[in-house]
Amino acid sequence: MKNPFSLQGKTVLITGAAGGIGSETAKILTELGARVILTDIREEPLNLVLESLVPPSEGSHLAIKADLTNEEDINNLVVACPNIDGLVCNAGVMKLTPVPFISETELKRIQSINLNAPILLTKSLLRKKKIQKGGSIVFTASAAGVYRVSIGNSIYATTKCGIDAFMRTVALEMGPKGIRCNSVNPGMVETALIGSFTEEEKEKEKLNYPLRRFAKPEDIAYGIAYLLSDASSFVTGTALKIDGGMTLG
Amino acid sequence: MTDNYNPYSLVGKTILVTGAGSGIGRATAIEASRLGGRIILVDINEAGIVETKGMLDGQELEHLYYVVDLCDESAIDAMVKELPVINGCSNNAGITKLTPIQFITAEEMERIHKVNLIAPMLLTKYLLKRKKLSRPASIVFTASAGGVFVASPGNAVYATSKCGVDGYMRTAALELAPKGIRCNSVNPGMVETPLINRGQVTAEQHEKDKENYPLGRYGKPEDVALATIYLLSDASSWMTGTALKIDGGLTLK
Repeated sequence: MKNPFSLQGKTVLITGAAGGIGSETAKILTELGARVILTDIREEPLNLVLESLVPPSEGSHLAIKADLTNEEDINNLVVACPNIDGLVCNAGVMKLTPVPFISETELKRIQSINLNAPILLTKSLLRKKKIQKGGSIVFTASAAGVYRVSIGNSIYATTKCGIDAFMRTVALEMGPKGIRCNSVNPGMVETALIGSFTEEEKEKEKLNYPLRRFAKPEDIAYGIAYLLSDASSFVTGTALKIDGGMTLG
Repeated sequence: MTDNYNPYSLVGKTILVTGAGSGIGRATAIEASRLGGRIILVDINEAGIVETKGMLDGQELEHLYYVVDLCDESAIDAMVKELPVINGCSNNAGITKLTPIQFITAEEMERIHKVNLIAPMLLTKYLLKRKKLSRPASIVFTASAGGVFVASPGNAVYATSKCGVDGYMRTAALELAPKGIRCNSVNPGMVETPLINRGQVTAEQHEKDKENYPLGRYGKPEDVALATIYLLSDASSWMTGTALKIDGGLTLK
């Protein structure tokens, strides 16, 4: 019997695919049968991810290097990209900065990667009709900003709130065209992104999580895979909180 | 593709589903059995659950059913006493009736709150008290977009019951996390089930209402069933306290 969560026959574009949640998502989507197009600014690790994947039943996986802060790179990526059934806008950066120390350069850099890039990529793919009817767009947003704020995290939080609003607007606009749009909103995930915390800070932070651990990238990837699959075909405009209970207390 | 790879599998899990005699509960039971689960069906409607039982996959797993009135606390406890240890529970039984607020009666309100809110609270209590939940385990509540994310005229009693479920789900998630027991809800918009009451609302009104859904349709029981299965499976093992909205975009505007 067909697995209702299967991604067999679907092609999915994943940004930020060279590591963390992105590379784990690539692994899980391909194991569920998807063909994937991987993109990242880091070419070497991207190719390593590509080589590690189980081959699709038809065609082959692709890796396309792109700097998503550069609109020309976005356009080239969209041109090189075949028609897709799923888009995972996952690339993101974070840097903790107390409010009095925010610089315009830093603000622009983080917003450009976390917010402007997914907006422009989504726009460009829709404009060029690369996302097929029945398609599904998933953003890696965050519990940060959308459900909780934390000290020093204002820039990251504002970008993720921006993504939340964009996700809901795309869901509303594209619903009648049969394209769904949702987000996953993780709490702290064990990836390189949280590398700026010390071990001691991390252990202390885990006490804020009722399930007493940080997420593994796969915990988030399974949420993404659910939202890409036909099992979620009535789900659109939903922010899927995956946070180990962090926002409850 | 890795042929047998399915992180959403329920193989080896025993799952209890209330309200399994029709609608979302029936679909949940069927889909959960297809994903390998052993199912325990609960409903007040014996004919309905017997029919559902016949529709399940994996008949060799010896699925069970209990005819129980969930408004009766002693009946809940008596059932729980007999249950094997379970790995998941879909609290799905629910009723609704549209009533403008000036016509609400205490009797009607108590009836709806008893089935929708008090029954899942008592069932959870007895499952814990009699140690019938494995560790880890996952409890899923069928809440609603109604009340939690959107209000609609005539729906006050139902909406309050579902907001109650939402508050209970989050509290239970917080209290039970140290025991490895997760709690989440599915929050559907309108779903094509016997509950949407063709008696009170005309088919024409339903067609017009569908225009409020960006995806242009109501949900199917399977849409809610598969979300429930995701939350019952180990694929969601870092999710607790989440209300999963499944509403075709209804609440966006």
